[in-house]
This record gives sequence, C-alpha cells and structure tokens, in this order.
Amino acid sequence: MTFSIRLFIFLCGLFLFVAIFELVRRKKFREELSLGWLLVGLCLVFSSFADLIIDPLAFKLGVHYPPTLAFIIVVILLVLVMLYFSVAVSDLKSRNKELSQKIALLEYKLSRLYRGKEDS
Amino acid sequence: MIAYDKEMLKSYLVVVPAYNEEEHIAKVVRGIRESNVPADILVVNDGSTDGTSERARLAGAMVLDMPFNIGYGGAIQTGFRFATEFGYEFVVTIDGDEQHSPYSVKDLIEAMQREKADVVIGSRFIGGNYHMGVFRKIGVSLFSRVALLFTGTNFSDPTSGFQLLNRKIFSYLAEGDNYPLDYPDVNIIIALHKMRFKVVEAPVKMMEKQGKSMHQGLRPLVYVLRMFLAIIMVLLTKKAGRHDL
Repeated sequence: MTFSIRLFIFLCGLFLFVAIFELVRRKKFREELSLGWLLVGLCLVFSSFADLIIDPLAFKLGVHYPPTLAFIIVVILLVLVMLYFSVAVSDLKSRNKELSQKIALLEYKLSRLYRGKEDS
Repeated sequence: MIAYDKEMLKSYLVVVPAYNEEEHIAKVVRGIRESNVPADILVVNDGSTDGTSERARLAGAMVLDMPFNIGYGGAIQTGFRFATEFGYEFVVTIDGDEQHSPYSVKDLIEAMQREKADVVIGSRFIGGNYHMGVFRKIGVSLFSRVALLFTGTNFSDPTSGFQLLNRKIFSYLAEGDNYPLDYPDVNIIIALHKMRFKVVEAPVKMMEKQGKSMHQGLRPLVYVLRMFLAIIMVLLTKKAGRHDL
C-alpha cells in the first residue's frame, strides 16, 4: 500500500469518526445508535494499516488477493450495522403503534368529556 | 332465532376498521343499525385522508381517529383495546368496504352460543358460492390445509376478517404484540388453538370484492411468505395455556 492511499483511508476514517462524534455531541445522533457507526469509523482508521495484518492473514487463510479479505470484513461490519438499525426500526414501529392507539383512545375520551360538560 | 334482551345491549361492539372508505362507511354503519344487531358500532378510522371519519360519525357510529395509518391489524387491535377498556363482552369485526353483510352477525352470535365457542369465524364458502381471483383462491386453500394440519379442524375461510370474539380472547389480543399489525389470519387461529380455545366457523354472506383489494399485484406472494413466517413463529413460541389469560 502506498503512503498516499494509506493517508487517504486514514483521513476518511478519521473524518467519519469525528463527524459521528460531533453529531452525538450536538445530540443529533443518539449515543446508543451511534456506537455501530463509531466502530465502522474506527475500523476504517485502522484499515489504513490493515495490510500489515490482513496480508499475512489472507495468505494464511488461502486468500490469494488480500484486499478481498478486507472487503469481506467491511461487508460483514456493514451488515451488522444494518441489522442493528433494522432491530431499532422494528422496536420504534411497535412503540409508534402503541402511542398512536393510546392517542386515538385518549382523544375519544377527551371529546366525550367535553361533550358531557357542554351538555350539563 | 336469538332472543336479544336488554342485558345484552351493552355487551356487543362491532369494530369496523376503515381506511379511505368514505364511499362505503356510512352504508356499512347504517347496515349494521338496520340489521337490528344489539351492538354499539365503533369505526376505527385508520389515518384516512378522505371524509371517512366524518361520514361514520354522521351515520351514528363512535369513531376512533388514528393519527396515521397503522395497518388493518393495528386498527382492529385498537378496537379490541376500546372494547376492553369500556367493558364489552363480545366484539364483532366487520370490514369497512361493504364486503361483509351485517345481517350475518346474528349467525355468528348463534354459532357462538350453540357451539360454546370463544371465536367464530365467518366463512363465505360454507353453503355459498363466492368467486375470487385465482391467486386468492390458491392462498385460501393453502392456508385451509395449514390450519387443518395444525388444528385438526377444517377452516374453509381462514383469511376471513368477519369474526366474533369473546372478551377473554379480544382482551388478550389487545395487549402489546399479541395481534399483528398487518394481516391477522391463520396465524391467530393456530395461536388460539394452541392455547386450547375453541375456534369455529359459521356461514356468512359476503359480497364479492369490487375494485381495489389488499391482495393485488405482488402482494399475494409477499403475504403468503409473511404468513408462513408468522405461523412458524407461532409454532415456536412457548406453549401458552388458558390460565395465562
């Protein structure tokens, strides 16, 4: 890996990490949801030195073209992050349903209450 | 014939889920009132963008307005919650598109009393001649077989939304995720059978569907796959008993 590519990947990772960190600090991104992305950013930072680990690991695993192994690791990480978000969306959908049902029932009770007051 | 007495008057609630049904909803509500069913009528307006809510109210129904569309199952579950909170003994579910004939409600009530059942599912196929699309027909027959396999009972119309449920059942289904947001069908029948509740069928009249349907395009395939997943989940869930309710 040439120095310029190493620097480019390092800066990309650093940018992602800092951007997410800043979003969390400004409370625009919830801490618990940001963890997965922070991990991806950190992995990207370290991946600029990944050839030092990945090359020998790829040869040990019988992968002839080491970048393939790096891609596989990145894809697995991204799939995990997406899975985490899908779970979060499912949870939100359940809560959304509960809230909307409660709002509809409360609105009905309130309107009955007002109607009762107007009648009396 | 069933003799309705005054005691029964507050015990039945007809729940009508409706999404953009301004053309039909008033007729549905009036139909229920004219059929002399001793029931209150609750229309669950599932986030309609047309005049469904107003027309239902003008026709004399109680109306619950969902803040946004949450789906057919979610709307029915809201009706179950309402019935649980306001102390109803029985709930009848009727679609808001005039497909279900309110005059058949008394047949469901009769069947529940005769069979001492917990749930009665209205079947359009028993003693009737109902035409539907090929895919729908395949789906219904497939789910009938699945229901037969896991419950030992033949359900000719397991996807019917025309049902009568007693309080034990609807108050259980009103809780949390006990009722699916989209399509509660054969998965619910299997779940209730697993809990040793008595689910039976009774003949009802249904109009053939005109125009738009929930089961058009690629949806039937997605629906079948989702239903199979839901059935597998029901079968894998820890066996619950009647004492859990």
